[in-house]
Amino acid sequence: MSDRPFLLVGETILPEGGETSAESTSELRFVMGNEAIARGALESGVRVVAGYPGTPASEILTSFVSYPQVYVEWSTNETVALELTQGASLCNQRSMAVMKHNGTNIVTDFLMHLNFTGVRGGLVLISADDPGGNSSQNEEDTRILTHSYAHLPVFDPCSSQEAKDMVRAAFELSESTELCFVLRPVMRVCHSRTMVVFEQPLELNRPAEFINDRSRFVMSAVVEKSAGGQMRPVVRHRWLNQKQVELQALVETLPFNEIELGEGGIGLVGCGIGYTYCKEAEDLIGRKLPILKLGTLPLPRAKLLAFAERVDTLVVFEETEPVVERLVKEMLFDAGKQVRVLGRSAFLPSEGELNDGIVLQALARLDPTYEKFIPKPFPFSVNAPTRTRTQCVGCSHRGLLHALKLVARKTKAVVTGDIGCYDAGSFPPMELQSTIYCMGASIPMGNGIAVSGLGQPVFAIIGDSTFFHSGLPGLINAVHNNARLVVVIADNGTTAMTGFQPHPGSAENVRGEQVRATSIEKIVAALDIPVQTINPYDIEETIAALNKAVQHPGVSVVVASAPCLLYARGRGEELFTEHTVSVDPEQCNGCRVCIDFFGCPAILFDGDKASIDQLTCVSCNLCLDVCRRGAIS
Amino acid sequence: MKLNILIAGVGGQGNLFASALLARSAIQRGFQVLATETIGAAQRGGSVVSHLRIADHVLYSSLIPDGGADYLIGFEPVELLRHIRKLKPDGVYILNTHPVLTIGCTMGVDRYPTLDEITDSLEKMNLRGHVIQATQAANEISSPMLMNMVMLGALCAVSDFFDLEEIKALITQGSRKALVQANLEALEEGAWLILQPAEA
Repeated sequence: MSDRPFLLVGETILPEGGETSAESTSELRFVMGNEAIARGALESGVRVVAGYPGTPASEILTSFVSYPQVYVEWSTNETVALELTQGASLCNQRSMAVMKHNGTNIVTDFLMHLNFTGVRGGLVLISADDPGGNSSQNEEDTRILTHSYAHLPVFDPCSSQEAKDMVRAAFELSESTELCFVLRPVMRVCHSRTMVVFEQPLELNRPAEFINDRSRFVMSAVVEKSAGGQMRPVVRHRWLNQKQVELQALVETLPFNEIELGEGGIGLVGCGIGYTYCKEAEDLIGRKLPILKLGTLPLPRAKLLAFAERVDTLVVFEETEPVVERLVKEMLFDAGKQVRVLGRSAFLPSEGELNDGIVLQALARLDPTYEKFIPKPFPFSVNAPTRTRTQCVGCSHRGLLHALKLVARKTKAVVTGDIGCYDAGSFPPMELQSTIYCMGASIPMGNGIAVSGLGQPVFAIIGDSTFFHSGLPGLINAVHNNARLVVVIADNGTTAMTGFQPHPGSAENVRGEQVRATSIEKIVAALDIPVQTINPYDIEETIAALNKAVQHPGVSVVVASAPCLLYARGRGEELFTEHTVSVDPEQCNGCRVCIDFFGCPAILFDGDKASIDQLTCVSCNLCLDVCRRGAIS
Repeated sequence: MKLNILIAGVGGQGNLFASALLARSAIQRGFQVLATETIGAAQRGGSVVSHLRIADHVLYSSLIPDGGADYLIGFEPVELLRHIRKLKPDGVYILNTHPVLTIGCTMGVDRYPTLDEITDSLEKMNLRGHVIQATQAANEISSPMLMNMVMLGALCAVSDFFDLEEIKALITQGSRKALVQANLEALEEGAWLILQPAEA
């Protein structure tokens, strides 16, 4: 028995009798889907990996920290990451860009050029979706952006092992077709943990070389003499369209699409993770059903037509939009086939995440003999109250949000919000931010409210990582247009919500190199904006700074600077001196300000007085300032 | 053979660690394991659910179907309620009595059900299970953070599949030395709470 630390992920676990020899080139590992994706890239000889954190994809990039042969970086945003990886690809290196669906939205502009130019070294874009919005501000299907819109080939894995196999195939095919390949894993692939075969990394040792080809890599409205005077965008568009023929033939041969024979006239089409729910339903029913497993876009036309021959109805299970369903309908129509095609356009739920129950219900609607397999819900008489997320106990954001709430109420201000931990200030009991959209939207939206003629002060609150990601253009715009608003930057020194990734304000990057931390205050000062830096654990100081800022007849900035408590603790730093915080019941008049406005989960209320839950309190002392009666000490 | 275990709790309760320990024990014996979790967007305080599936054949979906869980382990009473539909009619639940109040309940806009209401309702549905004071037991050992180990100890006592000695051996191999003793004690205490309920 070894004395190595107990690793939750990424460790080698051998089943009994499964010893490997020293010469063995593969081993079975119990890993997260995200680690399997990273491993697939490593085994393909990837040289450059870049991305921006976002659930469910974040762990893909951090997995490379244990592979020092790969250049890895957290970029300031996803567009920077994809542009950087294409730069490496043009030098004939294999590269990979990693992001969640919101990131894919913002890379769309570059993607709509990358598709026309193609790549040199293999380039794989990981675009992770979160059907059901379990950890996201929206739900969407990035196959539409990457395939329907950019016409790039997309792999949609059903498991961790397949995700890894697909990454390896994608690198090979990206080079043979000169196209960027996309892997679209969903949350249930990224965050599943299972056994995956790890093989030896490929050592390409390919020298970097840059060969000029301006007819490809200079995308511009220019006349191409060699193409009879046509415009270059049209020439490159035709190149991409002609590639579709090559892709069409290629997907027929890939192992990711398969026909499984079974009983009955209802054919299940399982796309990506949808396939696993079909298999689960089959298991619950206890007999084989006809299933077409699909993992690629474009679709394998010949396989689809062969499958459709055997059934009278096709039900397409895909996350989340009816992308495959519509392509199937088009292909069957063109082939003159009369087969009913059902899916997420109407028959199945058009929103939310799939599961095995949805497959069973679909089967039962088409054939009532399946109804007996649908589990009966328990007649449960007690309601479970909903659990809204909030700041962690001891989080510095709670001090900032509380101070901002008090100032905003007094000045009748509107507060716009952004993406990050502080967004929980928009939920009860704070209910502070009135808007939350996408990364960086807080400042321009606040600017719009300010120029609308509303006549109320405006605060825009944004985090440090989000500020670097996409906050700066909005801030510069506000200055250039003489806007009057207060921008509050909640600077906790890390990208906390997604797992403490470094950003340009950090002194150490993901490769462990010491770097010059970019100062938010200096950036703001360079724009000639008045900036105040405060400690959000000091509520009085924070209120004073916000009151001063809101008086300023232009753009002003308040930087609330305090490290993320969990991040600091993870690094062995203690922010607070431990002591017992308690409520003096003589002083407490039960006004509930500490509960209904401040909302620290460590403060309880017994119907009459507040009290401190000693098990969860971390002695941050913020509540001492919140109680105006001095009942908390 | 197929075994589904769902652990429902709140962020920070050691849900994923508990699930990983069970997974490791099954993998050691050569079983297929497929696990996932739903953790929401928060670092702390949100609902956290682990799905763990163990089989002697290939597994496809990492999500346990409704009515498919052999064991439903509630680290927190309301979180167990929230996922009761996952339990098999003949499955077994293990409920920790210690509530982690929701913000709505603290604010008084929602009502946290009483333990009697919860257990009465479970009984009315003819569900089999055990109600234990795991947080209190963990506290008495040294820290409420040991609650997850108390619950695993209880699972070992309830289940034919999981073995207390095996889980203890995994802890001894893996955890930081300072924590090993407390973890082992918590595991044994959990098993004791099931096996000797009259004296607990």
